[in-house]
Amino acid sequence: MKERMLRVGIVRALAAAGVLAASGLISQTALAEEPIKIGWLSSLTGPLSSAAVAENQGVQYAVEEINKAGGINGRQIELLTRDTAGDPTKAVNFAQQLLFRDKVNFIIGPVNSGESLATGPIAAKAGVPNIVIGSIDELTDSKKFPLAFRAINTNTQWIKSANDYALDVLKRKKVAVIGDTSGYGTSSAKTAAELLKKAGVEPVYSALVDPNKTDLSDEISKARAAGADVLMPWSAATGLLGRLLNTRGNMQWDVPVVGHPALMALPIKELLNKPEYWDGVYAAGYVSTTYGTDGKLPERTQALMDAMRPKLGGEINFTFWWVALGYDTVKVIEHAVKKAGSTEPKAFQAAMESTTGLDGVYATYSWGPDQRNGFPDSGMVVNRANTFKDGSFELAPQ
Amino acid sequence: MLLVIVSGLAVGALYAATALVYNVMFSTSKVLSVTTGHLCMLGGVFGAWLVSDLGVPSVLGLAGAALVGAAFGFLTEIVAIRRVLSRPVEHLWLLTTLAMATMVQQAVGLWWGTEPRPFPRLIPQDFSAGVMDQKYWLPIVTVIVMVLGLEFFYRRTMYGKVFVAMSEDVFAAQARGIATSRVRSLSYVIAGALGAVAGFAAGQLTFAFFAVGHGLTLYGFIALAAGGLGSNVGALVGGLALGLFSTFATYFFGGEYQQTIAVGLLIVVLLLKPEGIFGQRQVRAV
Amino acid sequence: MTNTRSPAGSAGLLAGGVALATLPLWVGDFYQLHLAQLIGVYWILIVGLNLVVGFTGQLSIGHVGLLAIGAYTFAFLAGTHELNPLFAIAIAGVIGGLCGLLLGLPSLRLPGFYFAMTTMAFSLIVTELTLAQDEITGGGIGLAVPGVSAPFDTPDGLYWLILIVGGLVTWLTWNVSRCMWGRSLIAIRDSEITAMAVGISLFRAKLIVFVFSGVTAGVAGALFASLQSYITPDTFVFELGLFFFVCIIIGGRGSILGPFIGTIILTALPELVAPLAKLGNFFYGLTLLAVVLLIPEGLQRLFEVLAEKLRPRRIESHVVTPDLTRLAAAIREGQSS
Repeated sequence: MKERMLRVGIVRALAAAGVLAASGLISQTALAEEPIKIGWLSSLTGPLSSAAVAENQGVQYAVEEINKAGGINGRQIELLTRDTAGDPTKAVNFAQQLLFRDKVNFIIGPVNSGESLATGPIAAKAGVPNIVIGSIDELTDSKKFPLAFRAINTNTQWIKSANDYALDVLKRKKVAVIGDTSGYGTSSAKTAAELLKKAGVEPVYSALVDPNKTDLSDEISKARAAGADVLMPWSAATGLLGRLLNTRGNMQWDVPVVGHPALMALPIKELLNKPEYWDGVYAAGYVSTTYGTDGKLPERTQALMDAMRPKLGGEINFTFWWVALGYDTVKVIEHAVKKAGSTEPKAFQAAMESTTGLDGVYATYSWGPDQRNGFPDSGMVVNRANTFKDGSFELAPQ
Repeated sequence: MLLVIVSGLAVGALYAATALVYNVMFSTSKVLSVTTGHLCMLGGVFGAWLVSDLGVPSVLGLAGAALVGAAFGFLTEIVAIRRVLSRPVEHLWLLTTLAMATMVQQAVGLWWGTEPRPFPRLIPQDFSAGVMDQKYWLPIVTVIVMVLGLEFFYRRTMYGKVFVAMSEDVFAAQARGIATSRVRSLSYVIAGALGAVAGFAAGQLTFAFFAVGHGLTLYGFIALAAGGLGSNVGALVGGLALGLFSTFATYFFGGEYQQTIAVGLLIVVLLLKPEGIFGQRQVRAV
Repeated sequence: MTNTRSPAGSAGLLAGGVALATLPLWVGDFYQLHLAQLIGVYWILIVGLNLVVGFTGQLSIGHVGLLAIGAYTFAFLAGTHELNPLFAIAIAGVIGGLCGLLLGLPSLRLPGFYFAMTTMAFSLIVTELTLAQDEITGGGIGLAVPGVSAPFDTPDGLYWLILIVGGLVTWLTWNVSRCMWGRSLIAIRDSEITAMAVGISLFRAKLIVFVFSGVTAGVAGALFASLQSYITPDTFVFELGLFFFVCIIIGGRGSILGPFIGTIILTALPELVAPLAKLGNFFYGLTLLAVVLLIPEGLQRLFEVLAEKLRPRRIESHVVTPDLTRLAAAIREGQSS
């Protein structure tokens, strides 16, 4: 009897020791592999969701890929996605939540510039690195926001490449600038007019249009009457761009349209009265999603597309650079953390500032001590809108 | 210039149709429903869905869109109007119809997507027709047919006369044996169908877009208030005038001050002639 | 609403006040503090709007326009012109009040639906003008907003400033609601004709209340801007105006505590329950519909009913024992006569 009790006691003690050892092991590994938390502010619903949904695909894929390969320096990535619905107030709330409650190591986003303008100062105050994917120029500043690094091009880069194409390649001098009355539209139209003036061209016609205005015939007729020989719309509103191209086509006015990348998006094609209304439309685009003369995409883009195609449902019916950008944001973090050897903000900043020629899918990035915009001018091209295939385009005629 | 006038008239026709729909519901219930503009949105979205996505012939698409609008009108009456009108508190209907409008817009946005989608061509016609294009004339013709039809309905049919009786005095109508709540239901069904038909006819102008309802509720109301609440002729004139006015304002001053100008017009009219141009001065019941 | 203060009510009020005053000391993190600040800022606007909507019955759905005016005034004065922030907040209140006056003068003469539509149009016009006047407002890019000056320049400090302002305006409206003035407002809401018949100057009362709500909206806008640290026209969407309105209706009209709880619930709930955020405005619409149809008096009424259920009821029983001898004597007397 006694013997038996003893035996039971030993078994119990052994079991307890085993549990203790196991739990000790777990806590030890947990310490070594505490996940790297990345907060992802994404407007997955709401009126501006198409870009965010595509970018989210890229972000998710990169996180999965890195985690499958063992994480960054042995640490897994924990992605915390928050849907801001495109509302700056919600974006600020979620930014606070991610920064102070969830204590994330990095923030990606938000997607829209209006939200980014509001969350940028908060991330800076919290001292958390921010990968910026809004295009408005004011979002980065090495003094005010030392930890904010931009992966996307700036708005000025978009406008400049479109302007250069219209003035230098198409040799047009009578420009009509058309913006919409949203925040993004008004500021872009203003920047576009300023850059044109710098190049010595005064727009012959400029107008701001309500994005939901049902008919653009008067604006287009006025532009035509003013003698415009190129239309430059700066708006991300699909409806407005669709109406603009339809009106131009219905009037049988053979004038080139050069402007915002949204001109090339597939929803525009659906809105057109006739497919040929997409002819003569050129928009700022990227080397990374442009077919070469041999009809092939750059190697890295093709590789990512092939790897993701099953996930995207076979057919890619949205602009692919969104996915590439989303993918790159995570890869950029991976690169900098590996280089710095930690997720320390200071070390991250130093690693980012000394990064030059980092090959991503979307672009080859270089940042510097005073350079927060990593996207090179050489990564920009102008595409022909009607060559949409797999979210990529052909180069506009040079 | 002719094109500017015609496109202003076309937009104005849509405002006028919205104002008419307000009137139909107002006549039996004395309610100005916030859902009015969203009825047009339903017509546009469901029309595009039926004709483009499901490949239904345009006529059936129109009927289907009208059916959806009528169903939503019926639902609005049951959920948001009937229970509220029996309460003594004023203006509760504003809250319930506002809630219905918010919900239907968000629901359509979640289902249909938040990008505008194309609305199909209804009549075979070349796109280079300019001012003769169907996208301008369909809404204009539709709203004229609607006004004539409503006038005929009110003057020549039994049910129409019942509507008029109810708009004059609900209690007197009830005392005469009219099933007022059934008539009210019917008026919401008719309003829903008319709104959807107007949205269908103007679909090529607005595209099939989930967010057009909100603006139409406002502009349709401005047209109605300027033209005179309760008057169908007023709704027509107010709508067309507002369409022309705002198109010309944009033509001369640009799009930056569009809403400011439209609302300015409303306030001027209301200050000068509070009952609207064709409205009847209401004798206040004490 | 109940104005009589039971000892339990005062104790509750005191405990609530202490909890609010010490909130930065016990709250979990900056995120929760931020939510508390946001609720406070919204409440400063809503407390003024509550007098317009909940007490006077004027259905303004466009107060977001006044919020934007306050926010831009503050950003322009304290940011662009580096004026003392506290002074700038006061000016934002004054400008808000003036704009309230400008809006109220024509629109308050209009009947219900007309008024609601005019306020909605007003908020759209404000957005249009902020975009068009880009020298002042920064147009689509917006403006960076400085923090408030010491001693309110920390998150805790800003919270206490919001608390002080919020407490002050709440106290003001509470006083108004108790006095004859508040009663006359409720009379206007319930029946304008009766109110006029008992000698209430309708238009003047409505206008004063509306201007007051403009002042609180302006102050709230200034604090909101400082809290957000950056404002763009995208921030001041029409839906935000709808949100303020729904908070009051859900809380209960003619009450102060009800809308306060409504504000807390409607601000915090979508943050805590993620699927609700996806539904977005659908959720607000559904809540509004449910409340109007099921409990038209709002949450306030719900609490009152609950409180009555929970409160130990003192039933005063008056036992009447008949004085039989006197009765018999009286009967006898009656029979004899």
